[in-house]
Amino acid sequence: MGTIEKLFESWRKHFENGGRFERWYPFFESIESVFFAPARVTENAPNVRDHLDVKRFMMLVIVALLPHYAFGVYNVGHLAHLASGLSTDFGAVVFTGLKTVVPLVVVTYMVGFFWETLFAVVRKHEISEGLFVSCALFPLTLPPTIPLWQAALGISFGIVIGKEIFGGTGRNFLNPALTGRAFLYFAYPAQLSGDAVWTQLLAGRNAPVDAFTSATPLAIAAVTDRLGDAQSALADSGYSITTLLVGTYPGSIGGTSTLLCIVGAVFLIILGIANYRIVVGCVAGLLATGFFLNLVAPEGSLPYLAVNPIYHLLMGGAMFGFAYMATDPVSAAHMPVSKWVFGFLIGALTVLIRVFNPAYPEGVGLAILFMNLFAPLLDHIEIKIRLKKRVPNV
Amino acid sequence: MKTIRIAKGYNLQLGGRPSTEVESLPEPARLALLPEHIPFIKPRLLVAVGQTVRQGTPLIEDKRNASVRFLSPGGGRIAEINFGHRRVIQEIVIERDAQEQAVAFESIAESELETFPRKRLIEAILAGGLWPLIRQLPFRDYAQMELEPPMIIVGLGSLEPFQPLPEVYLAGKESLFEYGLTALKRLAPQVHVCAPDSGDSLPDRLSSLVSLHYSGPYPAHDPGVILYRVKKSPEENRAWYIAGQDVLLLAHLLKTGTYPTERDIVLAGPSATTRKHFRTRLGVPLADITAGRREEGDIRHIEGGVLSGFVGSDQTYLGFYESAVNLLPEGNRKGELLGLFRPGYRRPSYSRTFISKLNKNDLVYDCNIHGGDRACIACGYCAQVCPVDILPQFAYKSILAGEVEESLEHGLLDCVECGLCSYVCPSKIELAETLHRARVNYYIEQSK
Ligand code: SF4
Ligand code: SF4
Repeated sequence: MGTIEKLFESWRKHFENGGRFERWYPFFESIESVFFAPARVTENAPNVRDHLDVKRFMMLVIVALLPHYAFGVYNVGHLAHLASGLSTDFGAVVFTGLKTVVPLVVVTYMVGFFWETLFAVVRKHEISEGLFVSCALFPLTLPPTIPLWQAALGISFGIVIGKEIFGGTGRNFLNPALTGRAFLYFAYPAQLSGDAVWTQLLAGRNAPVDAFTSATPLAIAAVTDRLGDAQSALADSGYSITTLLVGTYPGSIGGTSTLLCIVGAVFLIILGIANYRIVVGCVAGLLATGFFLNLVAPEGSLPYLAVNPIYHLLMGGAMFGFAYMATDPVSAAHMPVSKWVFGFLIGALTVLIRVFNPAYPEGVGLAILFMNLFAPLLDHIEIKIRLKKRVPNV
Repeated sequence: MKTIRIAKGYNLQLGGRPSTEVESLPEPARLALLPEHIPFIKPRLLVAVGQTVRQGTPLIEDKRNASVRFLSPGGGRIAEINFGHRRVIQEIVIERDAQEQAVAFESIAESELETFPRKRLIEAILAGGLWPLIRQLPFRDYAQMELEPPMIIVGLGSLEPFQPLPEVYLAGKESLFEYGLTALKRLAPQVHVCAPDSGDSLPDRLSSLVSLHYSGPYPAHDPGVILYRVKKSPEENRAWYIAGQDVLLLAHLLKTGTYPTERDIVLAGPSATTRKHFRTRLGVPLADITAGRREEGDIRHIEGGVLSGFVGSDQTYLGFYESAVNLLPEGNRKGELLGLFRPGYRRPSYSRTFISKLNKNDLVYDCNIHGGDRACIACGYCAQVCPVDILPQFAYKSILAGEVEESLEHGLLDCVECGLCSYVCPSKIELAETLHRARVNYYIEQSK
């Protein structure tokens, strides 16, 4: 027995039946099983079982998110230094980024883990690893200036209202991280919208240096007046296609880099964790709707209608939502054809909300939550059709 | 000839394949009948400890239909009758005599067989204790003799690791097999002999008897899967089936008028040190097969295949329907340190989350569950592997909600109990077991 194994064995008795912390066994199980898979064997057929468990499944999603954290730390720090007129020395930038992101992640995990453990203890089941994914996703969707207490409130809302009141992971039909994010948006619009929240200001400044654009690409595209066109307005603000693709512009902490989102989506699709139907469906829906608006936009109308659909994909958190939120298997549609429809409609709604609802510049979150609500209906229809084809056996 | 291609299913990359070699084992000192593992029967004991029996003496009859009896696999003295939980009869153990006496049954000459009345044939099989070898879909109880089935499916070979190979158990017994088929044809309008389409190892004389070929991953061989693919109307749901080797037992009984004893058993699996076929008797002690032929340590003895078989031990005997013993490490210890984060080159998984997907060699299997119980995460793997297009996760939910009708609509009765859905589930939900119990309950409810 190795040292670590001995350590767990010595703690185990306190958490097992009759131990001092018996009630908190889910907490112990959750930590121990990160280090060692349990020794449980099968009691009935099939005698053998697959090595994949929920822990590994969710762990791999977190692995896919790590590059976003690395990028987010850099981007947050870099923009803060630019806006504040400080040196953009790599070390200093990363330090600033870490100072912002690490506390957010720590608070999110502590609060999220607290709620999940509480519910697991009360319901006497093991802690579901879906939580770790929700807590990894949530900070990436926030503006870097968010107060920590709001983050704590948001994740609490997401976990408790978005998930636990429905019975916990597997029974929820909304994506918990997005639920928390949407709650914050509606409860505290001042801290989650407008141009000021996406970039931190350091060194006692309360306005960015003159040369710095703090408006997000989505905001620019939405407010461009009728005379100019949205694309050149973006270009004037320094948002070239490449910048948008790489994601070095103000936005949520981890959602701006479409490039990383694509890499992450491909990674998860190759591993079979994210479903390609959903991701491809989302992208297709977004491009098709963007293109459709281009076609029908009358001369001299809202310039946003005429934006090249590719821009919709590159700006803001659309791809982040498609890759990591829409593909959450529990809250997505479950049947193959439904997944296509589910994805396509998310893409379409994302564009429609962005273009036609100026009060809500980023549409992807609402689009996903909205489709989460409809996924069970899509499944229901598909299952009914499928069951009709069976030769009855009763 | 028709070939049925079945796309859904899954093959384990399990080592320990048996060779085609056959070794004859010495006569066992004890034999047993295991009523516990014969589904649905309500056994009434017809013997008592100490009583002398002959080979072919009835040991139990089914209270549901007293003409269905299970006979003694050998002659001697009843040594033990072991009861389990709630006085379920687990084992009736016979200590064999040196000079075994056998009961004589009616024998039917080959020339008579083709015109032999169906009713009398059934009576002969019932008297000889082998009627239960013929089973009825979808519940897999023994066949209801008062009905004429739409077809009988005779299964040669199995894709489950590991079962006896037809080219071994049929070798030299071709004419006996043909005799058996002739008898079966008296019972049903159609008899389908099903073999794998890679089955060119069958002798010519036998391959001409095969009427359906199947191809695809496990469990494409299963009569339930084959029926699912060939049936066109609900009337065909009640098909009968019998295993290839059991046709030989049946033929032996009818041809010679004696209760058959010979059984070819396969010993296989990664923890078996000798992996081959053994010629022995019905009801043989497992220890006679495995002693000295297995690794030391915690080894699980599986009677039947690795996926659908049940847990035995070296203290038990071979079940009435079983002809395989597979040995696997129990796996009752914790996983390696931080195994969660390791690539897992030798860890098997249906999913693509282990690098073993690139490994074409045999992988490491044991009986560990490899994870904690979680709620369904809707990964959809169970539906992807189900050979009969059930959506196990939805069928499961309707069973838990008590919606029997809905689960039937989902195809509950088409389930072939292959176990793949439980195998692949990352949330470690006992899908197959739950569906199995629901079927059993439904059947018992219905036959009240
Ligand atoms: S439901 Fe499960 S056990 Fe039944 S046939 Fe489908 S995969 Fe096999
Ligand atoms: S395999 Fe398990 S977790 Fe996945 S959908 Fe089926 S029941 Fe749910």
